[in-house]
Amino acid sequence: MSRIILYTRFNRFWHWTQALLILLLAVTGFEVRGTFRIFGYLRAVNLHHGLSLALMTLVLFAAFWHLTTGEWRQYLPTRVFLKEMAAFYLTGIFRGAPHPVRKERTAKLNPLQRLAYLGFKVLIIPVQFTTGALYFFYPNLNAHAWPAGFLWGVSTLHVLGAFGLLAFLVGHVYLTTTGHTPLANLKAMLVGYEEDA
Amino acid sequence: MTNMTSPSGPIRPPRPGRFIQALAGLMVLFLPVLATQPPPGPAHGAYGRVRAERNRDVTADHTRFKVLQGPFKDGDGSAVTRACLTCHVKAADQVMATRHWNWRPAATDRKGYGKSTHLVNNFCISTLGGNQEACSRCHAGYGMTDRTFDFTKAENVDCLVCHDTTGDYEKVKGGYPNPAVPLAEIAQKVGRTSNQTCGVCHFFGGGADATKHGDLDDTLLKAPRSLDVHLSRDGAAMSCTDCHGARSHEVAGPDYGAPADRREQPRFAGEAVSRMACTACHTATPHASFVLNRHYRKVACQTCHIPAYARGGLASNLSWTWSTAGRLKGGRPYEDKDANGLVTYNTIHGDMVWAKNVKPEYVFYDGSMDFTLLTDPLPATRPVVLNPLHGSYADPDARIWPFKRHDGDQPFDPVQNRLVAPWTAGPKGSGAYWGDYDWDTAIRLGMEKAGLPYSGKFGFVKTSMWWPITHMVAPKEQALACGECHSRQGRLARVKGFYLPGRDRAPGLDFLGWGLVLLTFCATLVHGASRVLASRSRRNP
Repeated sequence: MSRIILYTRFNRFWHWTQALLILLLAVTGFEVRGTFRIFGYLRAVNLHHGLSLALMTLVLFAAFWHLTTGEWRQYLPTRVFLKEMAAFYLTGIFRGAPHPVRKERTAKLNPLQRLAYLGFKVLIIPVQFTTGALYFFYPNLNAHAWPAGFLWGVSTLHVLGAFGLLAFLVGHVYLTTTGHTPLANLKAMLVGYEEDA
Repeated sequence: MTNMTSPSGPIRPPRPGRFIQALAGLMVLFLPVLATQPPPGPAHGAYGRVRAERNRDVTADHTRFKVLQGPFKDGDGSAVTRACLTCHVKAADQVMATRHWNWRPAATDRKGYGKSTHLVNNFCISTLGGNQEACSRCHAGYGMTDRTFDFTKAENVDCLVCHDTTGDYEKVKGGYPNPAVPLAEIAQKVGRTSNQTCGVCHFFGGGADATKHGDLDDTLLKAPRSLDVHLSRDGAAMSCTDCHGARSHEVAGPDYGAPADRREQPRFAGEAVSRMACTACHTATPHASFVLNRHYRKVACQTCHIPAYARGGLASNLSWTWSTAGRLKGGRPYEDKDANGLVTYNTIHGDMVWAKNVKPEYVFYDGSMDFTLLTDPLPATRPVVLNPLHGSYADPDARIWPFKRHDGDQPFDPVQNRLVAPWTAGPKGSGAYWGDYDWDTAIRLGMEKAGLPYSGKFGFVKTSMWWPITHMVAPKEQALACGECHSRQGRLARVKGFYLPGRDRAPGLDFLGWGLVLLTFCATLVHGASRVLASRSRRNP
C-alpha cells in the first residue's frame, strides 16, 4: 500500500472553491440572461459581480501558487502517451485495460488532461474575464460611439464561454469516474492522495 | 484501506473543518451583496414644515387693506388687478413678460412655439381658429376673446387665478371671473400659489380633468404617498413651485421640451432656480448600488420611478378621433360609455379611448422635440407625429424616457398639405363645429379667424403626439424591478438600437450552446453505459 500526495491542500482548496464559484457564476449568469429565475434579477446581477471578483482573487492566488511551486509545468502539453490515452478512452477502458499513464506527484495530469486544462486556463477563463470586464465597464467606456453591435458581440462571446464551461463541467465530472474505481478520482481530489489499485 | 484517522502516517488526512472555514471566508467576500436593502424610511415631510414656517414669515394681512375692501363689480377682475397694482406696482409688468401671459415661451427659447402661435396639439387642435374665448378660461388674463387681445394692458392680468387661496375662484369664457365669485373676499385672502392654483389649469388640459397629460390630475391634491411621493402630504408634501421655481413671476416650465439632463443646482445660497431635473436634489448618483446609478447614463429617473401614469383613479385620454365626430341620435348629440363608465364616443369629440393606470411607452429622448405648426407642410409618414422627439441610443444626452402616446386624427387641407384650425367652440347657428357639426364651415371660419388660407377641401389625417411623463413619481419601493425591462418581452421590447441584457440574445446561440452541453452529456452517457456493459460481459462471459 502506498500513498502519494497528488493534490496539496491549497490545490484542493483552489479546485473546489473555483468549482463552486464557477457553478454559482453559471447559475447567476444564466439568470441574468433570462434562462430561469432563482435569486431575482438585481440580486443575480450583484452576485455575479461579487462572485467574479472572488474568482479573480482566487485565480490570482492560484497563479501565484502555480508560478512559485512550479506546478505550472504540470500543464505543459506533451505528445508522450497522448495516443495511448486516446486509445484508452476509446477502447481500452471497455476491455478493462490498465490506465496507460501512472500519476506522479510531478506529473499528476495525463496528456489529455494537460490539453484540456491548459485550454481551460488560457482560453476560456481569460475570455470570460475579458468579456466580463468589458461587459461590466461598458457604461463607463463612453462606448456609445462604438459600433452598435459591440456589446452584443461581447455578451455573445461571454455566453459562448459560459456554455463552453458547462460542457467542460459535464465532461470533467464524467471523466472523474474513469479511475480505477468510479469514485477514486473524486476521492483523491477531496483527500489529496490516491490509493494504488 | 487507509486508516483515515492515523495521525502518524506520512500523509496528513484532509481537514474538512479548515477547508469549510476557508470556503466560508471566501464567501464572506461577496456576502454584502446578499444583504437586503434597508426598509424605506418614514416620510420626511420637511417641506411641509418649511412651508408652515414660511407662512409665519408673512407680514402683510390683505384683509386689512382698504383698497381690497371692494365691493368689486361682479366679474370685474380688472378692478381687482388695479387694486393689487397700487401696491405691487411692478407685478403686471413682470407677469406680462411670462409664458403664462403670452402663451409663448421667450423668443430665445424655442422657435416661436406656444398656445398663441400656429402650434397644433392632438386634443383641441388650435386656439387660433376662433377658440380663444373658450380656451382663455385658462389664460392668466381677462378678455382674450379673439386674436386682437391686447397683451400690453396691465389691468387685464389675472392676479387671482394664481394667488387665490380659497379655492372658490373660477374663470369662465374669455378668462373673466365667474360673476358669482366673491371677488373682494378672495382678494383679501390672496397668498402664495399652491398645487391647487397651478392645478386649476394644468390638471385640466385638453378640456377636462386628467385628459391631456396623464401624469397631472386633480387627484394629486389629495395624493396618497403611493401616487406621488413628492406632492403627497404623507410624502415630502412639496408644492409644484418647489421644483418649478419662479423668478419675477416667470414660473419654470419645460418650454416645449424639457432637456432630459437639465441639472439645476443653486450656485449660491438663496439663489432661486427651478429644480425640474430630479438630479437637482437627488444628484446623479442617488442609489447605493453602483450598477443602478450607472443606469442614469441611458435611463431617465422617471422611467423606473413612474411605473404607470393616471394612477390616481382618473382616466386620461389616449385617443381622440375627430373624423368620427358629429354623429347625432334623433338630431341630438350623444355620448356612449363603456362598462367602466369611460366615454367611448362623444358627438363633439368623436371616438375616444380613456384609460387609468397606464404603462408608459419608452423612447430615447434628449429633451428636445419639434412641433407642427399650421403653416408646416405635413410629412409623408402616417401617422403624422405632431411633436417628433429627438434622441437615440448613440446620443450621449438622450435617455430612455416614459411617454404617454396620444393617437387620433385631425382635419387637414389635402391641397395645401397642412393641418387646419377649425372653429370648434361656438353656439348653434354660428358655424362653429360644436354648434352645427359642419366641418367645411367650421374649418373655413376657423382659418379666416386665424388669418390663414384654406383651399376649401378637407380630409382627415392620422396623428399622434408624445407627452413626457414626469409627475406621479412613486415611492422607491414601487420603482420598477429590473425584470420589467431586462426580460424578453419587457417594457423596452420595442426600444431598439442597442443591446439590453436579459432582453437580447444572439439568434441560435442557445441552440448552439445547449446543443454543445447536451452533446457532451450524451457522449458521456454512451461512454459510461458502454463501460458498464463491457465490464458486465467481462465478468459473465
